[in-house]
Parts: sequence; C-alpha cells; structure tokens
Amino acid sequence: MQHNAVYPFTAIVGQEDMKLALILNVINPLLGGVLIKGEKGTAKSTAVRALADLLPAMEVSTGCPFHCDPADVSRLCDSCRGRSEEQTLPVQSVKMRVVELPVSATEDRVVGTLDIEHAIKQGEKKFDPGILAQANRNILYVDEINLLDDHVVDVLLDAAAMGVNTVEREGVSYSHPARFVLVGTMNPEEGDIRPQLLDRFGLSVAVAGENRPECRVEVIKRRLGYEQDPAAFGRQHQEEQAKLAADIMQASRLLPHVTIKDELLLLVAKLAIALDVDGHRADITVIKTAMTLAAFDGREAVEPEDVKKAARLALPHRMRRRPFEDGTLDWDKVEAVLAQP
Amino acid sequence: MQRMIFPFAAIVGQETVKRALLIAVVNPKAGGVLVVGEKGTAKSTLVRSLAEITGEARLIELPLNATEDMVFGGLDMQYALEQGKRRFLPGILARANNQLLYIDEINLLRQEFLGSLLDAAATGVYRVEREGISCLQAAACTLIGTMNPEEGTLSPQMIDRFGLYAAVSREKNETDRMEIMRRILAYEARPAEFCRQYAAANEAVKQQVAIARSLLQAIVVPEAMILLAAQMCAKAHSPGHRAELFLLEAARAIAALAGRTYLLPADLEEAACYVLPQRMRQEEQPLPPEPPEQNEPEPPGEEPPEQPDNQPPPEPPASQQEREQPAEQPVPPAGQPESQGSDQEKVADIDTTFPFIRMALALPQDRQERRGSGKRSLTRTDTKQGRYVRSGIPHGQVTDLAFDATLRAAAPYQKFRNTAQCAIAIEREDLRQKIREKRIGSTFLFVVDASGSMGARERMRAVKGAVCAMLQDAYQQRDQVGLIAFRRQTAEVLLPITRSVDLAQKCLRHLPTGGKTPLAEGLTAALKVLAFRRQKDREMKPVLVLVTDGRANTTATGGDGMADALKVAGKIHKTGVHSVVIDTESDFVKLGLARTVAREMGSAYYSLRELSEHNIMHIVKNLS
Repeated sequence: MQHNAVYPFTAIVGQEDMKLALILNVINPLLGGVLIKGEKGTAKSTAVRALADLLPAMEVSTGCPFHCDPADVSRLCDSCRGRSEEQTLPVQSVKMRVVELPVSATEDRVVGTLDIEHAIKQGEKKFDPGILAQANRNILYVDEINLLDDHVVDVLLDAAAMGVNTVEREGVSYSHPARFVLVGTMNPEEGDIRPQLLDRFGLSVAVAGENRPECRVEVIKRRLGYEQDPAAFGRQHQEEQAKLAADIMQASRLLPHVTIKDELLLLVAKLAIALDVDGHRADITVIKTAMTLAAFDGREAVEPEDVKKAARLALPHRMRRRPFEDGTLDWDKVEAVLAQP
Repeated sequence: MQRMIFPFAAIVGQETVKRALLIAVVNPKAGGVLVVGEKGTAKSTLVRSLAEITGEARLIELPLNATEDMVFGGLDMQYALEQGKRRFLPGILARANNQLLYIDEINLLRQEFLGSLLDAAATGVYRVEREGISCLQAAACTLIGTMNPEEGTLSPQMIDRFGLYAAVSREKNETDRMEIMRRILAYEARPAEFCRQYAAANEAVKQQVAIARSLLQAIVVPEAMILLAAQMCAKAHSPGHRAELFLLEAARAIAALAGRTYLLPADLEEAACYVLPQRMRQEEQPLPPEPPEQNEPEPPGEEPPEQPDNQPPPEPPASQQEREQPAEQPVPPAGQPESQGSDQEKVADIDTTFPFIRMALALPQDRQERRGSGKRSLTRTDTKQGRYVRSGIPHGQVTDLAFDATLRAAAPYQKFRNTAQCAIAIEREDLRQKIREKRIGSTFLFVVDASGSMGARERMRAVKGAVCAMLQDAYQQRDQVGLIAFRRQTAEVLLPITRSVDLAQKCLRHLPTGGKTPLAEGLTAALKVLAFRRQKDREMKPVLVLVTDGRANTTATGGDGMADALKVAGKIHKTGVHSVVIDTESDFVKLGLARTVAREMGSAYYSLRELSEHNIMHIVKNLS
C-alpha cells in the first residue's frame, strides 16, 4: 500500500475514544484489542486502516512467515526454534501491520492448510500458513465481526485464547504462534456478537456520527480535501502524524517501567465485585489499560484518573452477561466505588 | 511449538477445579473431568497448567478445526507413495493414548463426532474403517473438557461420560482478585522469571501426584465402602452403575492424594461432590416425546410454581446453580386490576422463571434432521463456507476438492503410474470432494397477540416468558428471528427478520398490551414478512410461531374477525410454512378458538401450560 493512499489518522475529526482505544492497543498489544460499535459511515474502518501508518517497527526473525520475535524465545515457531539452537537468528526490522480478515474468509484460509503445490511437486506434506500466521504480532482487523461465520469465530477464539494456532486438518498437524491485537467493528443493528467473543475484546467503544454542525462541516471539508489531492493532504498532516508516532514509541518504551499501587488494584477488585462482571478479564484489562494510559501520558505511576478512564473503555461490553441481559454500565456505581477513600 | 505455561501452583483459588483435575490425573479410571464455567475464569489456564505437573503424561489438545481423519487417523500418504502400500497413520486420539486429552469448548463440537470420541475414550479402543484400512487402535485417555454453558449445553448422555464435574466461578473476594491481577501482571511482564518463582511450589504438587499414583494400586476398596457408594448413588437417583464406579475410583484418588493406602468415608463424600451432582439432574430429564412428569434441565428452585416438586432436592455444589439462570426473579406486581378486553394499556414484564424451551425442528422433507438432537441448525453445505469435516467420493463435478484426501487416494498407486511431470500422478478416480458442515440457523417468526385479553391475570407475563425462553433457544442455535405483535386495529412488525435475538427480546420487553384482537391482520403481516423473506433467501424454511388465545374480534375490513383470521390461516397453510400455535387461553370456560386456528393453519398446537411443562416444542406434529 502506498504511504499516502491512506487517510491520515490524525486528520480524523472527533471520535476521541475510538482513536485513544486504538492507540492504547498499539502501545500495549496485550490489552486484547478493541471492538468498535457504531452505525455505518462513522469512520470506523477509516480509523483502523489509518492506524497502519502509526504502527511502530518491530524486530522479526528474517524470513519467518510468523514474524517471530528473536528476543522472545518462549514464543518462537518450530523452525525459528530449530535455527536458534544452532545460530543466532538473523534479525530484520519490519513495520507492524493491519491484517484484514474478510467476513467471507473460509476456515482453511484463516488457519492455514496443506501446501498443494509442494505436495504435487515434492510428494510431501507441508503447511501453508493462513491469515492467523500473518496476524501474529500484528493487528487482526475484522470489519463487521458480528457477521463472521460461527466456525471462524470459534477458530479465532481458540487462537486468541492461547496465542497459538493449532491446525489438525488436511493431513497436516501444525501449530504456530498467533498473538494478535483483535480489532473488530460492528453495526449492532445487524446482529449480535457472541458474549464469548465479546469478552475477548479488551476495550470497546461506541462511535456515533458527529452532531455539531461545525464538526460535520469539518469532516466534509477534510474528506473533500483528501480526495482532491491525497498526497498534499497527507503532507499537511505529516507533522501531527510524526508526533503521534513518536509519542506511541515513547509510551511503549515507558510501559515496562509503569507501576501501580496496591490500593488501586484493590479499588479495581472492588469495582469488579460491585459490578458483578463475569470472570476476571474485566479487572485485569482495567489495570493494564490504566497502566498504558499512564505511559501514554508520560508517567511511570498510575493515577486514579487513569483507572477511571480505563473503566470507561474496558467495562461497558462486559456488563452484558448473558445473551439476553441488557446490561449497561452503571457509571454512578463506578464513580461511587472509585470515590471510596 | 513449545509454550510458556502459567504455573498450576500460581493460580489463585479455584480449589474445586484444581482438586477435580488432580483426581482425574492420579486415577484415569475416575473418568476424566468436565469443567464448566463462565468465560474468563481461568478454565483453559488451569487445564493447560496441568501438563507440567503430570510427570510423564502429556496434554494433547483437540483443536476445534480438526478434521475427522486427523482425529481418528487415516492412510499414511508418505508411506503409500514410497512403498505403494497402505499403512495407517494414527490420529490425535491415538496420540492421546495413556495421556490427557483436552477439548476446549466441548459443547461446540459436533454431537456425533463428540459421541464417537467419548466412546473411544471410555472403552479405550476404537475401530478404524477408512480409506481401505481396517484396524483397532488403543485410545485410553483421560478426557478433560471445558465449556461455557451460555453457548449451549451438552446433552446429559454426553455429560454422563465424564466421571467428574467441576464448576468454576469468579473469585468474589477482593484480596484474591487483587492477587490474581498481581500475578498476571508479573507473568506477562517476565514469564520465565515468574515461572521460576513458582517452580518449587509446582514441583511439590508434581511430587504429590507422583506419590499418589504410586499409592493408588495399594488402595483396596472394602465391602463397606462399596455399600456406602451404592447407597449414595441410590439416594441421588443416579441411573446405571457408572456413578458407583466413578465414585469409588475418585475416592481412591482422593485417599492417594492424602498419602493414605486406605479409604475413609470422607473420601467418598468428597468424591460425591464431583461425581453425583451432574447425575442427579439426569434423573429429572425425561425422553422428549414422553408425557410430562418432571422435565427440568435447569437446576431446582427455579420451577414455575405449578410444577409438581417430586424429586429429592439435590445438593449440588453452589456453583452449579449459576448456569444460565437469571439472578433475580421479578416480583409480580400485586393487586393488578383485572382488565379483560379493556382498552387500557400496560406493559407486562417478562416471567423469567419460565423454563427453557427447546424448539425441535423435524421438517419432514429435510434429510439432515437425523443428524441428531438439538442440532437443528447443523447442515451439510455445498458452498465453500462451512467447516471441512471429512471427504467423500464426488457425485459428478468436483466443486470443492479435498486435496489431502485426493493425495491419499492416489498415493498407493504411484508406483504404477507415470510421474514424470510431477511427484504425484493423480487420476480422475482419485478425486475427493470436501464435505463441509455449517450451522445454519432456522428462521422463527413470532406473531404475538398483544390484545387486552392477553393482559389479564398475568398472562402476558407468562407469554413473554415463554417467547423469551424460545428466543434463548434461538440464540444458542443461531437462528434468525422476527417479531410481529397485533392489538387494537393493527398488526405491527416490531422486528423484521434479523440475526439479533437480542433486539427481539428488547422489543418483547417493551411490548404493551391492550385493545382488541385483530388476528387476521397479524397473520397477514406474517404472510407478507415471510413472502418478502423468501424472495431474498429461497433456501430458508421459516417457522411461524403464533401466540394467541384465538379470540379474534376485530378486523380492518370491519367484517367478522374470526372468519377473516381463519381465511388467512388457510392461506398460510397453503404456502407450506411450518407453524406452531401456542394457545394462551386459561379461562375456566374454554372456547378453543386457538385450536381452530391451528387446525386451519396446519400447525402444531400447544397450550401455554403444556409448553411450560414439556420444555420441548415439536414444530411438526400432525393434527388431523
């Protein structure tokens, strides 16, 4: 994709929560991705695609189809592990990517399959990696995720749960690392998303069209400007883009040094109990989000305000406990707990 | 691929699950474990962490995408190519022999497939008959399954194959939750270091398991214990004799884990917590077509009051009750004035105690229907969209080549074929087609009478409860649903057919009742919705669910409401749409009008009361 063919992230008007959620996930891929809910035409896809431009570079093992991280021995694929035992892995720097999973994708394409060409030519079985292989250490983007076929959803959940894609099909037994930031968009009017899949998303944001006339005007103006001359439009936003990219880099570097006090952990535990959320992902995500927020703000200590902000991003979609429970986040309750001494 | 695994000893709480897992690991005869619980409760983490403490035994995982030949084994293609001979290449099941076999999301596996798997695990062997190979394979494995019940439950027969049952739930204690967060943060930051910290604790558990295993053989079951086990099982009304055996084997493991070589009654009592709860419930489950007696798949305490309460109150571990039950029951508003047929509008809440209703679709022209219970939405598919489950010999043109199977079919003949061009010469007769399966939801169009007469005596509350119960089933089966309500002078399409069962439930919640009963309008609206839908999707086999007392008393044309309604009902019958009428009439003097409508429409007929007792609705039932 050409550099200037994408609408710049920083040129998107409004939608602050969505932008923030995406940025936080780039800084900390362990947050678990983001689900963007909203009607059509609210810049959901634009934002995700625009994100590509801001993604940091990462070190990968040269030639590895799964972009293994040579520094993370515990998550090497079989081939890299084998090679690393004999020699130091050659390292290459590549940009993190947004890998798209089309809603119509077949299971074979998603998990990978038998390499037919190799089988015919050599008479041997070989694994032909699929979309999950590409997605390792990258962002996996599923537009209209609620329309995805059930069995593909199952496969995604399977991989997301362990960060590994295990394939047992077409005569091939294979497993490879598959850790990805899952970004999904959906228009709730078109159907549900299974609670199980919903819970996999670290954060969720609801987007709506801008209602203030001046903002709508600005949206149109920018869009027209972009369509007229994408390159020039890109240049106009170059500085902002570069600054944001640098901020993201800075925050990623700071993140490992961020600490959180026990009293804030306790607060989050209280919050989870008060809101009666399913399982433990909610509290863990709130904490990790708060830490990432602190890093993005250039701090090493998490503050109560970070927790509050994180709760807004990490909790709403976890309130809906069963297919039929309405579940909205009772913000007063959240504030009451957070206000506790 | 090797993985870093969160240490067993570092998992906070979840003592019952840990215990059940240890019992299963120490004594394979205890029959494996089914771990049930909501999402995010460390089910998978717990099971996977087991790999490190079982010593020599490995944990084999069965991924959801596994094709059948990969599970049961098939022809060894490589060998056939080289030698021109057939040889069996063992599958996952054979790999799992004498190991632990872990199936995550076990409730999402195909029933028949899971059935053969569980059979193999239970008997320790399975017969292979495929691709010209016939052999017997050993598959004595300890099964560990995990599931989240909100995605649908397993049938009692499947649950019964597991010796032990453990429910996980979230920690409710602040300090424990804090500790969980601390440990996960530490693990994610520095996994290797974290694992080292818990190495000693993990090693201690590993030792305990190893010692227990060595003690196990020495533990003899005295006569008195057998008697006690029999008494416990009889008290729990557990059918068959699996329960007794599992109970005793689990008790032996418990004694061994305690470092003893003799059994104590307390061992049996503890074992009962894992062996009996799931079997107690089974007693209450009747065979579907039988007359209603006791049929609660749900835990006790939630039955509607009119149900006889004749089963012994089982005492499952508290966590068991958490399955898919709404937390609180709304108290019915007291002293509501009777307003039969009045124009007054009111919105009834949903009776959340209404039992789950399974909508059994047995559409006669559908051959897939024999694919088993509750899987109405499972179908073969000729598109390339479904899950590839096995291969077959194509009839006619090959549209979706199963390359792996084709290669295996061609392999044994390579010695005699000309392979100058490629490594493999494939001929026409080798070609195999992929057989895929896809879960296809059905389409249910609910047509609900919301007239004033329905508002009386809490009836609408029950109606909403019933429809909601059906919607719950529709959600689990991934059906499409639509909702039409009729009252006053008109019918209103509250929800066009959509996949969002959630929206349907919302519409239902806010549906007011009041006014007259324009039944003809309701049915006409349904006809329109269905006709429109059919244009979009010819394959669709919709089912119309009419909920009414049948007292049609108005129509837009100003004619006879009932006559008009019957006319439309006849039309619907002619279109061949399958339908069900749920009669809500509960007055002392029954007019039986809904039954008349049902007859005219060729519908299956149920009374609301009958439905609440049966829990199962057979869509096609010959009335005449």
